[in-house]
Amino acid sequence: MKGILFALAGGFFLTFQSVANAAISNGIGTWQAATMTQFTGFVLALAIVLALKDRSYRNLPQVPPLYASGGMLAAIVLFSNMTAVHRMGVTLTIGLFLIAQLITAVVIDTKGWLDMPKKNIGRSQILGVALMIAGVIVLKW
Amino acid sequence: MAIGILLALLGGTFVCLQNIFNANVKKKVSVWATTALVLLLGFAASLAAGLAFEGTALFKFQAEPWFWFSGIIGVGVVACVTQGVQNLGPSAAISLVMVSQIFFGLMWDTLGWFGLEQVPFTWQSLAALVLIGSGALLFQLGPKPEPMSADSSERVQANRA
Repeated sequence: MKGILFALAGGFFLTFQSVANAAISNGIGTWQAATMTQFTGFVLALAIVLALKDRSYRNLPQVPPLYASGGMLAAIVLFSNMTAVHRMGVTLTIGLFLIAQLITAVVIDTKGWLDMPKKNIGRSQILGVALMIAGVIVLKW
Repeated sequence: MAIGILLALLGGTFVCLQNIFNANVKKKVSVWATTALVLLLGFAASLAAGLAFEGTALFKFQAEPWFWFSGIIGVGVVACVTQGVQNLGPSAAISLVMVSQIFFGLMWDTLGWFGLEQVPFTWQSLAALVLIGSGALLFQLGPKPEPMSADSSERVQANRA
């Protein structure tokens, strides 16, 4: 039960984040909003690392540089997200984000790229994406 | 509209890539240290892009006080999703996260809070919500074919227990 509430709250925060970012970019501009939200988030996460006396960052040299630099993708993600929310509203933006996310995951899983364990794709996964695409079409019909 | 659709699909692709990159970092580094690193690099990349596109005009803005607290939301995301995954396992947790995302998205469009343009609620959009939500559930929780990795077979056993 606790896990369910955490997962639902996580989804709420993700949507809240899209909305807040779009609102902030309305106020001060898209790149300003991206820079500011990443900066304030970093300060808080750093404070948590320090408070927990977390020393695991020492293992960072063992992480391949490509994976360690993944955070930089946020610039593209945030720009697309804020612009899409402005143009089409939250529901459609999230629907399309989720579809692209799952299709990419399917491609990477079936190929076993990026150190992910190779997995086959089942009918339920294909049907799942098809339902979501149908949902987006119904939303915009 | 077409640009919005393309950008959302591009953004979603990059969210997936970033999740995978981060998962590979978390094999060696704790969740919070990973989060701090990801946000630091996100900050650096956004700053660089902002400077490239706007020059020093990037720093000319009038922020409302609450803008400075927006980072708390991202920390809430990490804390809740991590706890959810620990308690429920990745598949169940992520499917619920997605259902909740799309539900609150529709709620927000309908209410138009935070100065977003209000999108009037229709039964059609509720039907879309049900389709998208059940698609996400089916994707994550539906049966997956063999062969399974050691990691996912452990998960199945945990679900059975």
